[in-house]
Amino acid sequence: MEGATRWYGSTLAVDDVSFQVRPGEIVGFLGPNGAGKSTLLKMISTWLPPTTGRIVVGGHDVVREPLAVRRRLGYLPEHNSLYEVMRVDRFLEFAARIRGLGGSSLRERLDWAVESCGLREVLSKRIHECSKGYRQRIGVAAALVHDPPVIVLDEPTHGLDPVQVVAFRGFLRGLRQGKAILFSSHVLSEVIAISDRILVIRQGRLLADTPVDELERRAGAAGADVEAIVLDIVTTAGSA
Amino acid sequence: MRDANALGGGEALAAAGLIARRELAASFDSSIAYVYTIGFVVLANSIFMNEFFLTGTADMTAYFDRLPLLLAIFLPAVTMRLWAEEKKHRTIELLLTFPIGPREAVAGKYAAALGLYALFLAGSLPIVVMLFVLGKPDGGLIASGYLGAFLLGAQLIASGMFFSGLARDQIVAFVTSSLAAFAFVLSGNDRVVEVLDGLWPSLAPGTILSESVSVRPHFDAFVRGSIQLPSLVYFCGMSAVFLWMTALVLREDRT
Repeated sequence: MEGATRWYGSTLAVDDVSFQVRPGEIVGFLGPNGAGKSTLLKMISTWLPPTTGRIVVGGHDVVREPLAVRRRLGYLPEHNSLYEVMRVDRFLEFAARIRGLGGSSLRERLDWAVESCGLREVLSKRIHECSKGYRQRIGVAAALVHDPPVIVLDEPTHGLDPVQVVAFRGFLRGLRQGKAILFSSHVLSEVIAISDRILVIRQGRLLADTPVDELERRAGAAGADVEAIVLDIVTTAGSA
Repeated sequence: MRDANALGGGEALAAAGLIARRELAASFDSSIAYVYTIGFVVLANSIFMNEFFLTGTADMTAYFDRLPLLLAIFLPAVTMRLWAEEKKHRTIELLLTFPIGPREAVAGKYAAALGLYALFLAGSLPIVVMLFVLGKPDGGLIASGYLGAFLLGAQLIASGMFFSGLARDQIVAFVTSSLAAFAFVLSGNDRVVEVLDGLWPSLAPGTILSESVSVRPHFDAFVRGSIQLPSLVYFCGMSAVFLWMTALVLREDRT
């Protein structure tokens, strides 16, 4: 992403943001409400075009080659809106088929998604009958069912209980092999626990792009914890 | 991995088919399809049977004559949810970040709505059977009427989809689609044409609207058994324009 900027009318939502996520890397996106996180992820997903700047996913430009980007992308949107009246198994099959899966690979990937996201017991239920935690896992399963090399998840742990959050951390780290993973969260400790690198955004501007190792080193030197260091970045840069 | 920036014919067809099946299944799962189909069939067939017992003629003119006004209410009820619901529940972002374009999404939903409308029309087939049992109706005339009815519905569905694409609320989509459908139908009504022509006699706006915009003269030609190229072009062209505008709205209206 190079100089990505997005205006909504006269409101600047994302201001000249540049960063890169490499295969095998998990990058966490932090920022307060209205910071521009979701707008940025929507631009990566091809849903919103950047007003200026360039975003490339897997070697393909999101504006000029949106279909090629979408084929390589597993995207969980901000509100995880799902087709409420559909049965879980039919929804997952729809998500897989529309991405071109068929035959034995379709069955294999559906089985993988169902087992990985723990959906076996709700497969025959309609989505609106599922709990918030299950709905979140259904959204993640639909985003990953085609084994995409690039994964973008907007608030993936929203609605999960503490046990599910811990399980999700392990799940996401297990997916990293060869995949570029970008996810957003409000929860500082969660981002620190999962990510290799942290991006901090506020008022549309990227305030920090720092490896967690580096944050831990700084925290050790300062005798503080990593969360305090990240909070310091947000407040100091935000007031500068 | 395929990298073309538009789906190939086979892929586009497969994607549209998947969306159509999902859409139809959703309509039946939520009972909407049953309610609309039963409501339409009961109403349209009752009106016809009333006329049939009064006139005693073995043709379907009475059925087709009442069809445009009925469709101006029932088809907007079918199309109102197609996009407005996706926007309201935000599933549109999910749908349009799958590897498909707006064209495939529009084609899929259009096919689903056409499928449901075909069920509406299929509900009148017992009337056809009854006419052939009781008399000797003109089969060609009936077939031409059904073709006209299908094309008329195809256009009203396309315009309804466009208004649903513009709206974020199903009620707004229904009211605007229905108003547009009534405009298409009533602008060909003789009394409406007379009134409008009377407002500006030198320009005759009623006649202009009737001849250029209204579905009525084209549909009436089919009901009389006359299948003319200009009428085919009118219905197909208007449908294509509304579908194209729907895809355009979906491409531009994003938040």
